[in-house]
Amino acid sequence: MGQLDDAGAAVRKRALLPLALLALALAASPARAHVGSPNVFYDGDAGPYPVRVIVRPPAVVPGLAEITVRVKEGEADGVTVQPVQWRAGTKGAPPPDAAQPVPGDPELWSAQLWFMEQSSYSVRVHVKGPAGEGTAQVPVSVVPARILKMDVGMGAVLLGLGVFLFAGALTLVHAAVRESVLAPGEAPDTGRRTRARVVTALAGLFLALLLWGGKGWWDGIDSRAQEAIFKPFGVETAAGFDGGQRVLTLKIEDERSREWTPLMPDHGKLMHMFLVREPGLDAFAHLHPVPQQKKEELRAALPPLPAGTYRVYADVVHESGFPQTLVDTVTLPAAPAAEGARGTLAPDPDDSWRQASPIAKASGPAESPLEGGGTMLWHREPLAANRETTLRFEVRGADGGPVYLEPYMGMLSHAVVTRDDGKVFVHLHPMGSINMAAQQVFTRTAGAGAAAMDHSAHSRHAGHGAPSVVSFPYEFPEPGRYRLWVQVKSGGRVETGVFDAEVASTEPLPE
Amino acid sequence: MAIYLGGVLGGICGGYLALKTTFAGSAAERGAAVRFWGFRAPFGAWVAIWGAFAMLTSAPFDDWWHSAYGLDVEILSPPHTVLAAGMIAIPVGTMLLALALQNRAAAGEGRALSLAHLYSAGLVLLMVRVMITEYSYPNEQRTALFYQVCCGVFPLLLAAMARSSRLPWAATRMAAFYMLVTCAMVWILPLFPAQPLLGPINTPLDHMVPPSFPLLLVVPALAIDLVLQRREGKRAGWLDAALMGAGFLALLLAAQWLFSAFLLSPASRNWFFAGDNVWDYSSTPGDWQYEFWNQDNPVTLRGLGIALLLAVASTRLGLWWGNWMTRVRR
Repeated sequence: MGQLDDAGAAVRKRALLPLALLALALAASPARAHVGSPNVFYDGDAGPYPVRVIVRPPAVVPGLAEITVRVKEGEADGVTVQPVQWRAGTKGAPPPDAAQPVPGDPELWSAQLWFMEQSSYSVRVHVKGPAGEGTAQVPVSVVPARILKMDVGMGAVLLGLGVFLFAGALTLVHAAVRESVLAPGEAPDTGRRTRARVVTALAGLFLALLLWGGKGWWDGIDSRAQEAIFKPFGVETAAGFDGGQRVLTLKIEDERSREWTPLMPDHGKLMHMFLVREPGLDAFAHLHPVPQQKKEELRAALPPLPAGTYRVYADVVHESGFPQTLVDTVTLPAAPAAEGARGTLAPDPDDSWRQASPIAKASGPAESPLEGGGTMLWHREPLAANRETTLRFEVRGADGGPVYLEPYMGMLSHAVVTRDDGKVFVHLHPMGSINMAAQQVFTRTAGAGAAAMDHSAHSRHAGHGAPSVVSFPYEFPEPGRYRLWVQVKSGGRVETGVFDAEVASTEPLPE
Repeated sequence: MAIYLGGVLGGICGGYLALKTTFAGSAAERGAAVRFWGFRAPFGAWVAIWGAFAMLTSAPFDDWWHSAYGLDVEILSPPHTVLAAGMIAIPVGTMLLALALQNRAAAGEGRALSLAHLYSAGLVLLMVRVMITEYSYPNEQRTALFYQVCCGVFPLLLAAMARSSRLPWAATRMAAFYMLVTCAMVWILPLFPAQPLLGPINTPLDHMVPPSFPLLLVVPALAIDLVLQRREGKRAGWLDAALMGAGFLALLLAAQWLFSAFLLSPASRNWFFAGDNVWDYSSTPGDWQYEFWNQDNPVTLRGLGIALLLAVASTRLGLWWGNWMTRVRR
């Protein structure tokens, strides 16, 4: 919130003065557990109704979010949505807004919600119908993400109107001096006409100076808005040796970290770190660094990954329910011959990694061999940017038959989606892109009607029947070449399927 | 929408006057008009038309502004400044129409017109107060900035309107109109039930929130009237501006310094002064609501010096404007 409480504006101060104090103890400023993939997806249940909720958060704050709710089974009579800010809770939430049915699609409801502060929110979705009623909490973090540039058409219109007003103002001055004080019917003499021209010229100069001052004012507002655009915490990642063991260290180096609420575990881990080797995205790891002496310094034992430069994406979530993805790159040295033999840092039992061929030029095969002998199949659908889709994968054992999937860190599956240039990264679960720890924060504060769910059981149940099928709701934000790592656990072993996809470009959905 | 409707109405009235005078006006009507890009209309009509265009221009600009930077965090933004210029131009245009009639009338006539002029001027004061809301909460009234902002804007309007009015105590009456209309809002708005539709709601509300109690502008306006009365209708100049500016600042400081402390005290927490009833849904209740803010910019001699310069310059501009308005006849 620091970027908002600089000026002396009292309206802002009304809201923010108390926050200036609160911010010292709490983390209100949001980040997002993604890179370049801001929309939030949730597949889950609102009481007796399975729903898919998509929240397209505003890119500016305060701003308007677009929300769609698909009631996948059962008939809903009414759907409401309500923005619940983590600090204010449901008590301080505005009354719910009724979502409207979308004509032509009996399952779909849509609504818009104002988010007034940058903060950690939950969209409380309430569905009512003949089968009863129920609520789902969809956590969303709202931050200023960009400043809209003025397009040429709008610029031309405003410039034209501005020139018109400028010329009109000068004509007013001219008419005021030239004629307005004359008795009706009297014509201005030469002296008056000359004076009118001189005063108009001076007024032109004065107006130009005012406009110049106005431009400076606008530039100031723009640069403050640029500074307010959310950036995740700065981190420094380094790989080295500790007694012959390869170790990765991530240091959070950001002043905000002292003011924000502490990190909380998500799926039982304080940090989920993903390493992706550049440029071919041919090596991948999912690690769980833990704090050592200092809480800002987290370390993990490195698995047997090849040397090279890796992109680092570290997902964390604050106690406010605010998730963020910390981003860096790191160069891994070659592994020693007998890695781990003398290591003092125990690897996390849920760490996993995978090597594969470099990312394909076009969409790769729909089948990925697993290291345990089985295969993972991708039931592909045509992929286009900004279009809702379900990524569906089936796991088969070495014998070609179905396998029984076990929860992997509380979820039936984890998927990581990244574009070849690293500008898009997201960590998905069968229940979507929402952060589960954040959901628990809101579920705890919401009380009745939103009891905590066993997501592994839910996901299997909602995973479209077959125990060896997992699916993820998603919408690719940009066209391009993507690689997907899909992780499941079977027979006590974590398996990672690797897939490549070419995502076509489409027009963005109408707002 | 009501704001823009007001603008459009003002523009349509002005436009009607322009078309009628240009194409169907009598010789007398055309003679009492000014020329503007080939058309003819009374000067005030052109000001109102310009105001309507400025307001309409601000609409797409403001819309873009919200999508670029978010919904208004501040009242005073570039598109709102364009809107305010238009909103102020419309009553100013109306006043000029009335003034041209007043100035053509014989002395002693047109008292109702003069009162209407001062009432409109009071509404302009109210709009200006809305624009400077962020600098003029009671909590801000012990900062140098508050006195500088007030001295920059109010003497201009008070001096101009008082100078151009034929009524005595014009600045004081105009300030009284501003105070009365604001007081009406303070007393009437809370009677309407209302509920915040945005969140987070830190202050639960079940009624409309009024603006703060008005500034006691009748007090500093006295300084302007007193100096003007000594001029007996002669053209006012720099010396008058200096006297009025200094008097305005001194009386404003005396009035608001004391009154702001009262508004922040428990004694003001009633329906009349609404000292505790001005906080919107987003305000988190706390001691800060009843404290003076921004004490890193306190009222110092240097700060008051700047306020004095602004008051004198603003008054001088107002007198120029007012001198001209006494002579407007079209």
